[in-house]
Order: sequence, then C-alpha cells, then structure tokens
Amino acid sequence: MNIKRVLIYSILSFAALIYLLPLVVMVITSLKDLDEIRSGTLLSMPQALNFDSWDKAWGSACTGVTCEGLKGYFWNSVLIVVPAVIISTVIGALNGYVLTKWKFRGSTLFFGMLLIGTMIPFQVVLLPMARMLGFLGLAGTTSGLIMVHIIYGLAFTTLFFRNYYISIPSELVNAARIDGAGFWMIFHRIILPLSIPIIVVSVIWQFTQIWNDFLFGVVYSSGDSQPITVALNNLVNTSTGVKEYNVDMAAAIIAALPTLFVYIVAGKYFVKGLTAGAVKG
Amino acid sequence: MHALKIQNIEKIYGKVKVLKGIDLEIQPGQFLILVGPSGCGKSTLLNMIAGLEPVSNGNIFIGDRDVTHLDPKDRDIAMVFQSYALYPNMTVRQNIEFGLTIRKTEKSEQKKIVEKVSKLLQIESLLDRKPKQLSGGQRQRVAMGRALARDPSIFLFDEPLSNLDAKLRVEMRGEIKELHQREGTTIVYVTHDQIEAMTLGDVIAVMKDGEIQQFGPPQEIYDNPRNQFIASFMGSPSMNFIPCQAEKVDGDMPTMQITLESGNEKVKVPIKQNIKGLEAYAGKSVILGIRPEQITQQGEEKPDSAMLNCDVELIEPTGPDTLVTVRINGVKTVCRIHPTAESKVDKLMPLLLDMSKVVFFDPDTQERVY
Ligand SMILES: Nc1ncnc2c1ncn2[C@@H]1O[C@H](COP(=O)(O)OP(=O)(O)O)[C@@H](O)[C@H]1O
Ligand SMILES: [Mg+2]
Repeated sequence: MNIKRVLIYSILSFAALIYLLPLVVMVITSLKDLDEIRSGTLLSMPQALNFDSWDKAWGSACTGVTCEGLKGYFWNSVLIVVPAVIISTVIGALNGYVLTKWKFRGSTLFFGMLLIGTMIPFQVVLLPMARMLGFLGLAGTTSGLIMVHIIYGLAFTTLFFRNYYISIPSELVNAARIDGAGFWMIFHRIILPLSIPIIVVSVIWQFTQIWNDFLFGVVYSSGDSQPITVALNNLVNTSTGVKEYNVDMAAAIIAALPTLFVYIVAGKYFVKGLTAGAVKG
Repeated sequence: MHALKIQNIEKIYGKVKVLKGIDLEIQPGQFLILVGPSGCGKSTLLNMIAGLEPVSNGNIFIGDRDVTHLDPKDRDIAMVFQSYALYPNMTVRQNIEFGLTIRKTEKSEQKKIVEKVSKLLQIESLLDRKPKQLSGGQRQRVAMGRALARDPSIFLFDEPLSNLDAKLRVEMRGEIKELHQREGTTIVYVTHDQIEAMTLGDVIAVMKDGEIQQFGPPQEIYDNPRNQFIASFMGSPSMNFIPCQAEKVDGDMPTMQITLESGNEKVKVPIKQNIKGLEAYAGKSVILGIRPEQITQQGEEKPDSAMLNCDVELIEPTGPDTLVTVRINGVKTVCRIHPTAESKVDKLMPLLLDMSKVVFFDPDTQERVY
C-alpha cells in the first residue's frame, strides 16, 4: 500500500518535473544577460536577477520594421479576446438554452451540424472566411478578426452549454412557465444563476483559444492591429545581428502569461465545470 | 358548471398517436385521478391541461373559458411536479414569491400569502433555506406551497409522491387529502399507484395506451371494472382470473354454473347473480374474476358462496391478514385469510368463495360479461 503510494508520487513528480523544465529554462534564460547565456549551460542559474530583457521585450524589441516591443500587441490581443470571449459565451449560452429547453423542429439536426463545426480545422475556413470578410468590408480590421473568433468559437461554446443545460431538468422551466415567466425571464432568473461553472469553462476555453491563436491572427490582421502571437513570431524572427535568447524567452513568457494566469486562478472551476453533473434542485 | 372539461383531446408525436381522443369533465372541488401504467399518456394529458404541450386536436375548457391555445400563465392553474422543480438558486420564500412577483402582486400582499401558505403547510421555519438544504418531504411541501400561493382554479399534480420513501408517501398522501377537504380545491392528480388513486380520488380515470378505459368513483371502478385490464390494475394484490367452463342448468334460477377444480376436488358452482350475458358462454370457457378478499377461510356461511378444498402453495403473512396462494383450475390464486386461520404449505385448506361480487370476462376480448 505505502510502497504503491510512494511509487505513484515519484512517477507523478517526475512527470511534473519534465513538464515544468521548459518553463524553468525559459525563466532562467530570460533573467541572464547574453554573456551568461554564452558561457553557461541551459540550466545554470543567473548570477543576478536581471529584468533588462523583460523591459526590452515589453517596450523596445523590434518586431519587424518597428521597435516598440510587445506592449502594443499585448493590448491588441486584449482588445480582440475580451469582446470575442464575452460574445461567443453569451451566444453559446443562449444556443444551449434554446437547444435544450425550447426545442424546435430540426433542433437536433441543427445541433448535429454545429458539432461538425467543432471538427473543422482552422485551415479549411481560411479562404472562405477571407472572402466573406472582404465582402463585409472587414478585411484586415480588428472587428473582422473578432468576428472570426466568435464564429469559430460558437460551435464549442454551444456544445458546452448544451451539454450542461441538458442536465437541468425541464420541469424547472415548466414550473417557471406556469409561474408566468417568459423566455428571457427564465433564462435570466433560473438558468443563468445555475450556469456559473459552465460559464467559467467557456471563458477559459475561449480565452486560451483566442489568445493563443496565431493562424487567424496572421491571416486576418495586419500591421498595428496584429495580436501578440503574431508579434512574438516577428520579434523572434527579426534578426539584428546577435540572437537575443533572453529577450525571446521573456517575450514568449509575456505572451503566455495571461493564459497561465487564467488557468491558475480558475483552473479549479474549469475541472469542476467540465465534470459537473446534474443540477439537483 | 364544470371546473374542467376536456373534449376529444388527441396528441400526435410524429406518426405516433399518444392520446387517442380523451373526454373528461369534472366539477369544482372534485379530486380527479389519472391513473395508468407508465407510458400511457398521463403526463402528456396533464401537460396539455397545463398548456406546456400543444394540443394536436380537441378542446380544453377551464370554467367556461376555452383555454386550448392559451399560454400556461393565462390558464389560472398551478402545478406540482414529480421532481418538485424548486428553483435551486432561490430560497423557499423566493420560490413561493416568484410567481406572485411576476404577476405583480403587491409586496404586502405577497407577505401575507407566504405567511398563510407556510403556516398551512408548516414550513414557516424553512422560509430562508435553499432547496438543497431541505429533505424530500420538505421539498414536497414547498412545491405545494408554491402552487397554493397562487390560488388557481385548478391544481395539477404529476406523480408528486413517487420520489418519497414509503412511509413519507403515506403521510403526504394523507396531508394532500386533508388539504383538499379543507380548502375545497379542484385537483387533477396523475399517478401510476393504484392505492394513491383509490385513497385520494373523488373520481378516477383509468388510462391505457392513450385512452380512458373507465371513468368513475373509486369504489365503482374497484367493484365494477369494465375489463380485465382495469380489474387487474386496481387492487393489490390483484384480482384473480380463473378460466373455467360454464354450462347451462335446467330450471329457472340460477341458469348458469361453472366448474372449479383444485387438488383432486371438482365442484360445480351455480351463479346466482343475474348476469344475462353469461348464457352466451354455455359450454364454453369464461374468465372468473374474484378478488383475494372474496376467498377466505371457512367461517360464517354467506348466502352466495362456494366451498373448495385447495392445496396451499405459499403463505405470506402481512399482519392484519395472511395471503395464501392456492391453485384453482390450474392457475395461481391468491386468497386473503384471517391470520389465525390454520394453513400449511402442501396441505389442503377448505376455502370459502364469496360469489356475490365476482365478475366474468370474455377470454378473447377480455371485456366484462354483463
Ligand atoms: N416528446 C415526445 N416525443 C415523442 N414521444 C413522446 C414524447 N413525450 C412522450 N412521448 C411518448 O408518449 C407516451 C406517453 O408518455 P407520458 O405521457 O409521459 O406517459 P406517462 O406519464 O403516463 O408515463 C410515451 O409512450 C412516450 O414515449
Ligand atoms: Mg408521467
């Protein structure tokens, strides 16, 4: 029994170590200066805490022709992510509500088609979406990119909410209807208060998806409106003589921080929400 | 004036006719039970009365209003659900007030109603709790309180007791009946439990496969089932169905007799009840329907009874009486005897069959022979 425990924990610790190693290397490297990087090994500790490369990555590193760091692009990403996450989550919740509690003729088929939407790879929609954005006059704009993320994310958020709401008894909705509540009142007074766990799931999922997205960002945005992932790529690929590994690492961590943060803060709810079963009244 | 009138209601899902033309009418203050096996369409019918399911054909009247196409909220009804359907995020008080708030009842008035209802149902101490902090019986009470608060013209109950354990179920059953007697409310109550149906109902509609098989007062349905299905569904243990040979007797009265056989004894039993239709079965087989309490131990002789020595196969004491299983005409037959009466497995026991209330069914159509 005890030996089993020890074995399990050693294996888990080992796995955790392997997973953490890249992050550790990145953090260490970002705190060294170039000389230290050249003279030491990957895992040797920095001599002092030196945040110069973080400064540079944030404010003055070159990303292509401009040399203003990631700062602006970070806010671009925020500007894209926040509305896209909110809107896709709200619509997903409404879709799930309708698909489970206000079924209409063909709603099962509709849901089936949405499911297919979750399996479509990014690459497949690139060209048609570009045509559509052009047609709508949104090509190369932030709103266009937001719209793409909303549409692509809807299949997922709808799936989340639909699967969650299906476990909320329909009798609850019927009781509210008899009490005199209508479509919106029931959604807002009965369903939404029960939805916190799945809202957390949807927000985390959409946030990481959209924040980490590179392909849509690189295809549908240009110049100053590009998201941080594209800027990071440009930063790493822009060569001004020496390769500044420390700045690259700092930039990569900056780009990853928000998702890390979201997972650490809300990860607990994420797991809870994914496994949440029936809502017993 | 009727409180509820249902005219030729049909419900069709795709190609399946789930309700096949239901007609019903109840008076104000009546307690109507819809009873039948699972899947016979009771909930569907109740949901259509509530307005939760659209009607495929037919009309529904509440009072003198045609409500067939009205929203649930405009029908002046309240409903208690099997799962109680209390709003999980609201306290008991908020649950009761929800419908009142939507109907824009004044705050002071709401307070009075909550007070009155919670007193009536003894849930005053629970008002600030959330549903998940309540026991099953308490949730049941709150669900009823929520319905009562609205003071509707008809209450609808969909198997409200089936999630409770046996003891609580009997208790709540009594409370519902008491409430009905005290408040004089009109109730439509769905159950698959025939005991609930018998104990609660003023009138019972026995349903099967989307049709009403019989509609009438509980005792009438118990004593005079229209067919074998109703006879077997109502009553526990169920009525015994014994196939037997009928023959004509010469002379005036009685005119028919049947043959009963158990162990190595065979008796011919004259039918003294006046059942005209039975004569058509002369020389043929007919199904005798006899309830367990109509077969008892030997005792005071009744005017219309028959004696038969039966081989005892099983003895099940229930306390107030003992159920003894014997075999008559080759089928297992349950008898309800006094616990002090002597019986032993594999021994012969003289039993008295009270023939004054037995019924007969056609073996093919399973319809009652009158
Ligand atoms: N939405 C539906 N679509 C198709 N068939 C249904 C639907 N709802 C109920 N039914 C069918 O209608 C019949 C009656 O159901 P119900 O009224 O719930 O029965 P009961 O309450 O008597 O157990 C069942 O056979 C059930 O399968
Ligand atoms: Mg039902």
